[in-house]
Amino acid sequence: MKNEKKNNSFLKKFRKEESILTQRNKSEKILFGVVFVFFAIYAVTLVFPFIFMFLSSLKGSLEYVDDLVAGTVLSLPDNWLFSNYADAFTGMSIKNSWGVPIYLPEMLFNSIVYTALTIFSSVAASALTGYCLAKYRFKIRGFMYGAAIFSMTIPIIGTSGASLKLAHTLGIYNTLFYPLLPSFSGFGFNFLILYGFFSNIPWSYAEAVFIDGGGHGTTFFKIMLPQAWPAILTLCIMAFINAWNNYLTPLMYMPDYPTLASGIYRIELTFTRKGNYPVYYAGLMVATLPVIVVFACFSDVIMKNFTVGGLKG
Amino acid sequence: MENLMERPMPKKRITAAKKKETIFLFLMLALPVVQWLIYFFYLNIDSILLAFQDKRTGAFTFQNFQLVWEQLVDPRGDINIAIKNTMIYFSTDFLIILPLSLLMSYFFYKKILFYKGFRVIFYLPAIVSAMVMVESFASFVAPNGPVATVLEWFGYTIPPQGLFADSDTATNTIVIYCIWTGFCSKVLLFGGAMARIPVELLESARLDGCGPFRELWQMIFPLIWATTSTQIVLLFTGLFNSSGPILLFTNGAYDTQTLNYWIFAQIYGSGKYGGNTGNYNIVSCTGLCFTLVGVPVILFIRWLMDRVPAVEY
Repeated sequence: MKNEKKNNSFLKKFRKEESILTQRNKSEKILFGVVFVFFAIYAVTLVFPFIFMFLSSLKGSLEYVDDLVAGTVLSLPDNWLFSNYADAFTGMSIKNSWGVPIYLPEMLFNSIVYTALTIFSSVAASALTGYCLAKYRFKIRGFMYGAAIFSMTIPIIGTSGASLKLAHTLGIYNTLFYPLLPSFSGFGFNFLILYGFFSNIPWSYAEAVFIDGGGHGTTFFKIMLPQAWPAILTLCIMAFINAWNNYLTPLMYMPDYPTLASGIYRIELTFTRKGNYPVYYAGLMVATLPVIVVFACFSDVIMKNFTVGGLKG
Repeated sequence: MENLMERPMPKKRITAAKKKETIFLFLMLALPVVQWLIYFFYLNIDSILLAFQDKRTGAFTFQNFQLVWEQLVDPRGDINIAIKNTMIYFSTDFLIILPLSLLMSYFFYKKILFYKGFRVIFYLPAIVSAMVMVESFASFVAPNGPVATVLEWFGYTIPPQGLFADSDTATNTIVIYCIWTGFCSKVLLFGGAMARIPVELLESARLDGCGPFRELWQMIFPLIWATTSTQIVLLFTGLFNSSGPILLFTNGAYDTQTLNYWIFAQIYGSGKYGGNTGNYNIVSCTGLCFTLVGVPVILFIRWLMDRVPAVEY
């Protein structure tokens, strides 16, 4: 076993050193050098928002305005005001339709519930449809697959009015459980990913379960679902990032249950007039931190599993 | 050993097995199908009906179509401005962001120095709240920001009111923001597709003297065509939804509104026709008109994409 590992690492090293693809002539070296400089500059501009937000969240409000006017937004704070974070939790609020203030901790709770429901709904529905359509042949299978591709590729716009009306009709408008039903879509992008993934898992696993007396449910939950875990995890992470940062849906469909994203947007409309930007940035930091932590933990998973094939229907 | 799959089974047992399978499929697919029927079928039918209804009385009318037409043909009409801007955002996506994403992915695939770090950093705009990115970008291009300093070296000055408070520069500035933040997921998708190309193919081409340009254009590009064509189809599917974060930058002022934003404004109640409650009818009518334009476009694009054979490997 040890020898095998040693051989593998040697082969990898050998391949890395010897692969002709990584060898570059002089003109290629210049090209890659120039591109590297462009990439580095672009990367710095993308890191800038974090540094800007972090430093701004620790400044005094006057100091922040002075730095903004002077064009020195990246200067270090005179005093590192970590109290801005406490102020963000206790001071940042918006009023719901009954005039009751909603503070940051409640928005954080709403964000967690909204995100959890969105992840569960969108991934679970796609897992159900993806598995059934990939592994079973039944009468309306072709119609369902066609409908999935059709609904994905036909550019329907302007249904948000009807969608809002529907939310009222179903009684889910302005409730914390709003995302449960609209997100339970089994025929979108997630479906394509999981359909492809399940298609590649051999059916012989299921046959083995049937021989042992297991049923279709056992096959799905105990055999197939765990095998699709890398794809499901990637979809969950992507759904987490999208749901956590989504401010438009909570703004439109659940105004009395603001999430951190929609709540901070609404706060910004009023808060900034008082000039206390640093506390606002502290709130933004609180809203951004969970996404950064999740991304830091799972960036490798996202990078490895994020692929999509052809869309032929 | 007798093959279990080929063994003839008693008719009664086959029926029982089939029954179990049908029940399993019903339980698995019932909820996603109901959701699809409500959120795709019913929603779109209702949206079409709304387009023909008067907002106050609900009576059948063509007045919404008349309003849309007037707004479309009037050079200063909201929809006229919105559609022009929408096309600008779409062209940026299609002609600038897509090709540049492809190029970036190529350099990552060719393991440019620090490529793993770049890949993670370039994905940051997708994980950070748009509010953070917008705030940072606004401070970048503020009259006293770093971009102004660079422009001054070349003899240009940013007007004191800033780039977002001028109809001539506002949309272009938001377009630049979209380019700045637009590569994330596309780079990942193309990177994933390139990673699946058999290395031996490229190595043998290299041995035959194939340079980087030919390698990209004549080998890699055809080999990842399935992913590229999917991206193009999806881009055209979102043709009339192309937009930047207008709400966060200008709230639609200074001729920056897009069709997507205009629809949001009418629904949210802040638009010209929205009033306090939103105008679902005009939105549905506009949506129906542009969907009717978009359907043949997307069908043509799909047909065009299918003309190019995908390479199997």
